Amino acid sequence: MTTHVTTIADYRRKLSINRLGLWLFILSDAFVFGGLFVSRFYLLGTGVRPEVNQFLGFAVTAVLLTSSFFMNRAETAMVHGDRKLFLNSTLMTFLLGTLFLVGVVGLEWQIAPFGPGDDVVASLFYTMTGFHAFHVLTGVIFLAIVYRNGRKGLYTAERHWAVEACAVYWHFVDVVWIFFYPALYLIGKPLL
Amino acid sequence: MDENALNEKKKEALRLGAGVMFLLAVFTLGEYWLGSVASVWYVPLLGIAVLKAFLVIRDYMHLPRLFAGDEEEHE
Repeated sequence: MTTHVTTIADYRRKLSINRLGLWLFILSDAFVFGGLFVSRFYLLGTGVRPEVNQFLGFAVTAVLLTSSFFMNRAETAMVHGDRKLFLNSTLMTFLLGTLFLVGVVGLEWQIAPFGPGDDVVASLFYTMTGFHAFHVLTGVIFLAIVYRNGRKGLYTAERHWAVEACAVYWHFVDVVWIFFYPALYLIGKPLL
Repeated sequence: MDENALNEKKKEALRLGAGVMFLLAVFTLGEYWLGSVASVWYVPLLGIAVLKAFLVIRDYMHLPRLFAGDEEEHE
């Protein structure tokens, strides 16, 4: 009994260190995204934007925000020991994340009337969406691992750090897109 | 904690998540509309983005957890 209590106490101590580490990583990554965000306004100002499909931008944004909702549901379910809801919600997040990638890389990149090396606007667009898409891809892989481990029953209501880390990372990717969406799709007139 | 109280806590947390999602949807629709009619209004557009990010960081990423003590219960 004493051993169990010590283990839980150790786990909680480790958890707070893990959380700090994850948030420091997120902060450092945010500086890179912040640099890209500032570059967009420094190089293009607020009067122009890339010539992209605004509705597609809205659609992929809606998909990513919905995926964050399901990720939150998955984490909440695990915190309360509801394994079935956790698995279903994680799977939904995975599918929506994949759909986002298809929307940006598979669709937007293909229909955009410019290539990555055409000019500054094009270069910025592909760098910003590409760097973000790479993070989404990493998150999707993370989700697949968490789903697989969840199916194996490796997480409990008391111990599920991987689920929490995956959720925080996924929401971070969402927060980045929350800023990239108006910067790339809404602010300024399309540069023809 | 008994099962009823746990279920009630879960429902409350799920309701909060749905409420945040509703607000995010409303803000995104407003942002889309504003972007189509007045794309030069970058201040309100970025203001909406800040609001949305605040909601996600506070309620989905649970930033306050970072400052909780070692012995505090998981939310």
